[in-house]
Amino acid sequence: MKNQSKPDEFYISYAPVPKGYRRFLFRFVPLLVIGVVLFAGLLPMVHNQFNTGKLQGTQELEGFLAAEPVPHLVVPRPGNIGDNSPFSRYLLTGGGKTAPSADILEHLGRWVKLTGTMVSRNQLSVIATRSAEPIDPPASAAARPQEGKPIGTYTLTGEILDSKCYPGVMKPGQGKTHRACAIRCISGGVPAVFRVQNSRKDVLYFLLADQQGKAINERILDLVADPVEITGDVIQYDDMFVVQADPDSYKRV
Amino acid sequence: MSVGYKAVQWNRQKRIYDVILWLSVFLYLWGFMTFTEKAGDNLDTHGVAIRAYGSAAFILLHIILSIGPLSRLNPKFLPLLFNRRHMGVTMFFLALAHVDGWKILKLPWELFGAKAPKFPWDFNGALTWYHDFGDLDPLVSLFVGNTHYGDFILFPFEFLGVIALFILFLMAATSHDFWLANLTAPIWKALHMGVYLAYGLLVGHVVLGALQTNKHPSLTIAVLVGMVWIVGLHLITGYREFQKDKKALFLTTNDFVEVGTIDEIPESRAKVVIVSGERVAIFKYEGKISAVSNVCQHQNGPLGEGKIVEGCITCPWHGYQYLPESGASPPPFEERIPTFAVKVEGDRIFVSTTPNPPGTRVEPALIT
Ligand code: HEM
Ligand code: FES
Repeated sequence: MKNQSKPDEFYISYAPVPKGYRRFLFRFVPLLVIGVVLFAGLLPMVHNQFNTGKLQGTQELEGFLAAEPVPHLVVPRPGNIGDNSPFSRYLLTGGGKTAPSADILEHLGRWVKLTGTMVSRNQLSVIATRSAEPIDPPASAAARPQEGKPIGTYTLTGEILDSKCYPGVMKPGQGKTHRACAIRCISGGVPAVFRVQNSRKDVLYFLLADQQGKAINERILDLVADPVEITGDVIQYDDMFVVQADPDSYKRV
Repeated sequence: MSVGYKAVQWNRQKRIYDVILWLSVFLYLWGFMTFTEKAGDNLDTHGVAIRAYGSAAFILLHIILSIGPLSRLNPKFLPLLFNRRHMGVTMFFLALAHVDGWKILKLPWELFGAKAPKFPWDFNGALTWYHDFGDLDPLVSLFVGNTHYGDFILFPFEFLGVIALFILFLMAATSHDFWLANLTAPIWKALHMGVYLAYGLLVGHVVLGALQTNKHPSLTIAVLVGMVWIVGLHLITGYREFQKDKKALFLTTNDFVEVGTIDEIPESRAKVVIVSGERVAIFKYEGKISAVSNVCQHQNGPLGEGKIVEGCITCPWHGYQYLPESGASPPPFEERIPTFAVKVEGDRIFVSTTPNPPGTRVEPALIT
């Protein structure tokens, strides 16, 4: 064929690139790269479920080491507390996805000075414990914190979470993608918490316990991170709420 | 293969290709993590790299799967195709990092029992982040954490990722032409068709994982659009191929079959016809006509969409070359394809209905 109006271009990867191909590539490749970078900007804007929780650094707190329903630290509030509860309660874990270690638990039922990393997300705080040493009970506060106050039977709908990674560094720390992690935590002895949102989108946390007030961790692993309905007795311990119910009565909804 | 013994294996264009590929991947990862930090005040960005690497691998997979059909529809996309292998291997390493961070870089130290340095770009992959630091081995936790294998919505989406990663590993590990030769082309080809299975599994991984947690409609739409694009592109290309084949089908009982006229074929190019159920490429060059099998010995590239360059049929995919008279690669290369006897009567071309064994020399028909 003579006098072809268009040259019959053919691309071979080891030969010089024909003009038409070159022109095409100079247009298409930058477009592709820009598209890719654009995606990198757009995706985080919609995929924006983050965690408002934070590691608060190492802290030292003095308080009463309570055993039930899960090990936690009861700390007298300083100053004039008015109508507020006289104590703050902090859930305790070990390092990683574990329960506090044996050399901390040996002080259960006593006053201790506790060292650990505080992890918190709104009103939910947990201390990843490192060490504890016994101290004398303070003169001012009651030597033993009060018993819980029953405040009624409620039916609550929410999600079972672990109290460590959820207020910690996971994104978003709840839902299906976090399920496996929460199962590891709860199975390892991190307290299981029930997250409930009311109609005003306020978030409330309830510590889970059975009717005898014991931890239920290994009994609810299968329901972690799913929408669940729990009917049980809510008991208030200072600023901590516990819902006591038979774990067999939890319902997936 | 290449007449000029040019470095087909590693050349300037491949290097440019790789630089652009890796620069884009880097820009994406860096952009994703930077924009994420801008999404809120004082956000803790632990774990964001898992999303960045996972989505990078998933997007790259869409690009890889698009190149094939796109270059069938328009040969201008061929320069993206010849080095697809590096895209595939890059995607595997992105997926591996999504799962395991950059632990693989630490292997050389760990093999000698030494403590590996901490790389500045290192992070905890999904396996460590979600399954380690607990009361079970992370690899056990991966399979026994969520046990709803019998449920659809509750299904452990990680499991789909595991199978996909395994397939991607097999493909990356056998991607070199060494394996193509040793596994034989059909087995290699079948293995690499696994990419479609992997794609399906990964759509499931994302739909049952990330999209269950973040139900933002744009995310669902993005995954859906990606799927419609990939499936649509393959259907369109497949349909066009089917139409072409239907037109090019020459059923016959004779020894020779008429396949068209000389002026249908541009100089140095071919027409593809189907003779006795097999695609045959009929080339016209320097006043001669030759017919060979349409299937390249390298990776089954469509030789009929190639061109005669420096006297050799040159494959459009990676530039493997064959002499049109004999179907053999010029020495020292040893690839061979079947040839077909040809006849020309006036301006009509006739092709034999039975192929010759690969590499058999056939006199070209002269155009009178
Ligand atoms: C052992 C195999 C795998 C495991 C355990 C795994 C685990 C996960 C987890 C836990 C998530 C949720 C991450 C989060 O929201 O922070 C996720 C998301 C994702 N994974 Fe995988 N994955 C695996 C394999 C793969 C592979 C091979 C790919 C390949 C492309 C992939 C692509 C993705 C994508 C695109 C997402 C969504 C990312 C986002 O949320 O932006 N995964 N994966
Ligand atoms: S050169 Fe690779 S398929 Fe032909």
